[in-house]
Amino acid sequence: MSTLVLAGTRKGLFLLESDDGRRRWTLQGPFLTGWSVYHAVLDRRDGTIHAATNNAFYGATVHRSSDRGRTWERAEELGLPEESGLTLEATWHVEPGREGEDGRLWLGAAPGVLFRSDDGGATWRVADGLLHDPTRDRWHPGAGGMCCHSIQLDPEEPERMYVGISAAGVFRSEDGGASWTPANSGTAADFLPDPYPEVGQCVHKVLLHSARPERLWQQNHCGVYRSDDRGESWERLDGNGLPSDFGFALALDPRDPDTALVVPEESAENRVTADGRLGAYRTRDAGATWELSAAGLPERAWVAVLREGLAFDTLEPFGVYLGTQSGSVFVSPDGGESWLEAAAQLPPVLSVEAGEWP
Amino acid sequence: MALVVLPSVLAREAGGRTRFELEAATVGEALRGLPVADLVLDERGDLRRLVNVYVDGVDARERGGLDAPLTGGETVRLVGAIAGG
Repeated sequence: MSTLVLAGTRKGLFLLESDDGRRRWTLQGPFLTGWSVYHAVLDRRDGTIHAATNNAFYGATVHRSSDRGRTWERAEELGLPEESGLTLEATWHVEPGREGEDGRLWLGAAPGVLFRSDDGGATWRVADGLLHDPTRDRWHPGAGGMCCHSIQLDPEEPERMYVGISAAGVFRSEDGGASWTPANSGTAADFLPDPYPEVGQCVHKVLLHSARPERLWQQNHCGVYRSDDRGESWERLDGNGLPSDFGFALALDPRDPDTALVVPEESAENRVTADGRLGAYRTRDAGATWELSAAGLPERAWVAVLREGLAFDTLEPFGVYLGTQSGSVFVSPDGGESWLEAAAQLPPVLSVEAGEWP
Repeated sequence: MALVVLPSVLAREAGGRTRFELEAATVGEALRGLPVADLVLDERGDLRRLVNVYVDGVDARERGGLDAPLTGGETVRLVGAIAGG
């Protein structure tokens, strides 16, 4: 079986493919030249690639390819209603719907908005509930804009889903995205006068564990957190071997809800890998302790790994994929035990995702 | 009939075509007739900030922007502003 890595870069999309146990990789691309690919994902339901694409001149959109990147179609005009007073700033993350939800996709975008498609990405409609959320006046844009970057669907409860918005926080919906409840209790916002507000947290990435869907992991501007109650409360986990509480990227072991990886950066003021070396930090005890996973990674490195810069696959053992702003894609085919460089000298990598052609 | 000429990124989005002959009384009407209108105009219908439009070599913003009149035979050239890296 062929494993695929989709590497979204500041200058187009690259595809890496491996047929030999994720050890050797061939590079294809660039596709979508002229576009910054903030995130690209392979829809496991039908093999379509969806990409959140942005261009400094021509705005924000979503492209899709159903022939492995050979040809691309662009979504019909994407925008926000005039009465909202908001205009679309950037597209950030495409999340395919669940198995059986044919044609449904979700799109996170700035300024803190969510779109839904029911026709495979041809047209998108803004989710009104989040657009008009009563707490919106207390949201503020982070350095990358007010991006809705995390969208997680509960695999067992078809109406339950989560979004992460910087800097608004985590929100949970129990009605398929119609209305939202803040889910930030216990997560810090040290940059605000009230460090534990209802909303306003600068969440950097949120992931749900598909085998234990009440468990969420979060890398935040102010710490690493785990929730075991659908985001009702969060436990702070950094300081147990992590060199820093700051970072963006997050990955999980799809079989083990106690295993997670993060890539800490030195600080909010100096956003490079901690201690001048590149490495993921892995916990296998639900965040009680963390250990450096860096075998095969460069020992001296001052690089940045963005919020979509870490991904994992569903193989056994699970693979981890790490993309850097210095244009490398590193692969760990063994859950973080060892790493190899699968591609180098790419444009700055904004996102990585793993998949398999159907 | 005006001739609208697209830069390369827009041409790729328009199926590889760089030139469009369009019947239009204004620059706005010509741009709205393009298959890449959504990339040239924002969701309010305004010209995107970093897109420049030249009508026979003159910046359309000096002639009324999207309301700049076209009488036929003009070449309307779209150019990305000098920006970015």
